[in-house]
Amino acid sequence: MSSEPVRTHAIDMSAIAQKNQSNKGKNETSIQIQDLNLFYGEKQALHGINMEIPKKQVTAYIGPSGCGKSTLLRCINRMNDLVDIARIEGKISIEGKDIYQPGVDVAELRRHVGMVFQKPNPFPKSIYENVAYGLRIQGINDRRILDEVVEKSLRGAAIWDEVKDRLQDNALGISGGQQQRLVIARAIAIEPTILLLDEPSSALDPISSLKIEELINELKETYTIVIVTHNMQQAARVSDYTAFMYMGDLIEFGDTNTIFTNPEKKQTEDYITGRYG
Amino acid sequence: MTASKLQISETYQKWRKIKDQFTRYGVVAGGLGVIVAIVLIFFYLMYVVYPLFVSADAHALYQYELPEKSAGKSLYLATEEQNEVAARFTDQGKAVFFATATGKVRNIVSVVPSDAKITSFSVGTPSRGYIAYGLSNGGVIIARHKYQITYPDNKRFITPQIEFPQGEQALQIDPQGQAITHLAFRVGESGTTLVVRTLDNRVLLTNFFKEESLFSDDESFERVDVEIDVDSKDLEYILLDKEQRNLYLASRTGRLSMFNISDKESPRLIQHTELLHVGSKLTSLVFLTGELSLLAGDSTGLVSQWSAVRDMSNHISLQKLRAFKVSDYAITDIDGEQRRKGFIVVDAKGVVGVYHSTAERELLREKITSAQPELLAMSPRANVFLLQDKQGMIYIWGVENEHPEVSIKSIWQEVWYESYPKPDYIWQSSSSSNDFEPKYSLTPLVFGTLKAAFYAMMLAVPLAIMGAIYTAYFMTSSLRRVVKPSIEIMEALPTVILGFLAGLWLAPFVEENLMAVFSILCALPVAVLLFAYMWQYIPKNIRLRIGEGTEVLILVPVIILATYFAISISSPIENMMFGGSLISWFNNEWGIGYDQRNSLVVGIAMGFAVIPTVFSITEDAIFSVPKHLTVGSLALGATPWQTMTKVVLLTASPGIFSAVMIGLGRAVGETMIVLMATGNTPVMDLSIFQGMRTLSANIAVEMPEAEVDSTHYRVLFLAALVLFAFTFVFNTLAEIIRQRLREKYSSL
Repeated sequence: MSSEPVRTHAIDMSAIAQKNQSNKGKNETSIQIQDLNLFYGEKQALHGINMEIPKKQVTAYIGPSGCGKSTLLRCINRMNDLVDIARIEGKISIEGKDIYQPGVDVAELRRHVGMVFQKPNPFPKSIYENVAYGLRIQGINDRRILDEVVEKSLRGAAIWDEVKDRLQDNALGISGGQQQRLVIARAIAIEPTILLLDEPSSALDPISSLKIEELINELKETYTIVIVTHNMQQAARVSDYTAFMYMGDLIEFGDTNTIFTNPEKKQTEDYITGRYG
Repeated sequence: MTASKLQISETYQKWRKIKDQFTRYGVVAGGLGVIVAIVLIFFYLMYVVYPLFVSADAHALYQYELPEKSAGKSLYLATEEQNEVAARFTDQGKAVFFATATGKVRNIVSVVPSDAKITSFSVGTPSRGYIAYGLSNGGVIIARHKYQITYPDNKRFITPQIEFPQGEQALQIDPQGQAITHLAFRVGESGTTLVVRTLDNRVLLTNFFKEESLFSDDESFERVDVEIDVDSKDLEYILLDKEQRNLYLASRTGRLSMFNISDKESPRLIQHTELLHVGSKLTSLVFLTGELSLLAGDSTGLVSQWSAVRDMSNHISLQKLRAFKVSDYAITDIDGEQRRKGFIVVDAKGVVGVYHSTAERELLREKITSAQPELLAMSPRANVFLLQDKQGMIYIWGVENEHPEVSIKSIWQEVWYESYPKPDYIWQSSSSSNDFEPKYSLTPLVFGTLKAAFYAMMLAVPLAIMGAIYTAYFMTSSLRRVVKPSIEIMEALPTVILGFLAGLWLAPFVEENLMAVFSILCALPVAVLLFAYMWQYIPKNIRLRIGEGTEVLILVPVIILATYFAISISSPIENMMFGGSLISWFNNEWGIGYDQRNSLVVGIAMGFAVIPTVFSITEDAIFSVPKHLTVGSLALGATPWQTMTKVVLLTASPGIFSAVMIGLGRAVGETMIVLMATGNTPVMDLSIFQGMRTLSANIAVEMPEAEVDSTHYRVLFLAALVLFAFTFVFNTLAEIIRQRLREKYSSL
């Protein structure tokens, strides 16, 4: 697959090539989306989406603004429940269990499906308490466990060295890039199986952005990652699979390499080559 | 540079700049104006209050040789109201009237016939001008100096006169004809009482009282004569109060016997007291105006105030209220002011001091003469005093002493007032009588203010904050759009209407239905919680039909039902457990009295007034917590309740705090509701069934009746200043804390 001729667009192909090495032989499905329709009131935002997101891989959603990629992402941990007028048809299963089944504990679901948002949103608490928050709401208040998990999570989010001396400082006092990594640490502290990243670096400067990408690469060893991004280079750099969406439809979903080098659909190619978006 | 294609008009740019400048200066001017206005108000209040704390000032006016020395030695000095004419009564029984300014004699009147021999002298209530001479034959002559004012040629002219209310003939008091060595008397509406000590150590009481015939207009004087059984060997001072009820006999060593002579036929000894420390001598004993307390000056320079006090068991005793260390030398003379509880003292070295008893204040100390002083007199308006010394000089000094009644102690600390069983905090600013001792303690008013605010906040804060949390966080936006403005409109309700309803409708209602009110207070929260618990068992399709965030509407019938239930069970419960009346049960079992206008009523009414303020600000604070924080918390698997308590309330805490503070500020400054619903009794009692008087209500009630620039008026301004300082300190503190919280918890 990697021997496909390189197209004439500005994608860092070496990153793709490198990544494809690790792609082989992993096809377990983590999230299965079947015939998903989503309506905001009268308006339909997602049209019959079907996809299987593989386990411990990075899947990227790309597409122009308003195409429904964030909406789709939010369906996975039922954050769309917070929108009064949203209505969902279809099925999403995680590890084979339908999450829209009545009787599903949404809070429990979200514990297993962590989410990081576009804008860093640390709570107005200390760095330590931010990371410990997810455990405290689960009723874990043992100082020793908390200390251990906080350190592990901050190390996991590659921010430990920068904040270890000021864990009790207010989290709002660190830089945007650090805040975003802190938020990721907060998300992984509760040991989710899936991490949803909604444009995690779009509000950050290039260097912070790069750090986040490196982090994603490390995290996929442990977690299934779904990332929404506007930045195609980023999608190409970090993801194993890419889904291209347009106007609420899933246009094409497949191996990142294929999507970026040899898309099946004309629309995909047009988008990737920068004709619209 | 290439010319731009856009034609930007220069005048437009200029105009834009002018508008910008204008707005900037306008905003700055407005802001400064507010600050200046507040500072001006503050300084005006200070300006009115300041004279309260200024000391008295005295200056020498005139001094001259004693007028008409040949008329004899002075026994008593006095001036009339205008300080134009002064009088001295001599040991030859003559009244010498002279011009205060020059000492020129106006006229001399003989009070006592020249053939009689004078052995004693006494003054009645100074403001009424009575004096009396005791004679060597056991007789007494009572006279009165009066000043008639006429206006010939439109100029004031004062004619001094001597009157004899009991006739010019001496009243024979001692039937045995012994000389009268000491004497006290009071002339009253219904009779005259004299108490004398004769040369052979008998103490006699004589009372003349008016007997009006039932059948004609005839009046006749009946006379009662009693001998008082008391050891009178070294008796030196006899004092009789103007009610002719209490008689005080004191020896030179300070041993005082107090008698109740309400029943003139049988004087009753109340107690013997030692006024002084062992070794000192009593050098002066006079009444303070009102004649409820005595001022005892001694040879060590101490002046102590004593008053007859009734204790819990209705037992009267003489208590020392306070003492003033006036001088290191003996007190020579004391004279009380005629209209205030102040007094003037001169010591053996000629140093005059002006004091106020209630305020425990020394207002003035001034050396007047280097000779031995003899007599001291304060003018009726307390603006001039006369001092006569042994060398025969009279010194006339002017005094500026407008507000002696107020001191830090008399405003904030416990003060032992005349006739009170113990020191206490009392606010009682005026009375119909001149003899009244004004009680300007702001402590009960501050207490009342805080108490009213406390009960109001007890009701308002939980309701408003919980309501705001629900409205901002759980309620659907369509319902919220209706609920929020409706509660805010409550704020527009004039407080006078709330006060009116509270005072005239709610207070009697609560009194009649106290049990029902309490059972509603207990039943409502229980019913609401019970219903909330039961809600989860209601079939889902019904719940879904009602919708999340609208379920609160279902609470309305629940609340109505619970209220109805509480009212209907209140009467049986009251009958069963509290003997039919909760109010009398409280009174009998716990000794808690019930006032109709009480803190409960105020708490409900003022709480109602404070709720919209607290609610509105809290709701805004909670609603404006950034969405990404709540979403972030939910995405971590927190339940909505956890998100609310751990993230939303924390982030909104500066706003909630300032809501509570602004509510408190409103409750402290609120006037009309407390004015109409509290009963305005300045009591210091924490009980929920007692009323209170607040600073603001006190100002509203008393300002119209306070004479401009009087002490009372200025004390009311002081209350206003305290209120101002209160709100100022509250708001500043609140703002500082809020800034801190915001720094800590604000989310960017």
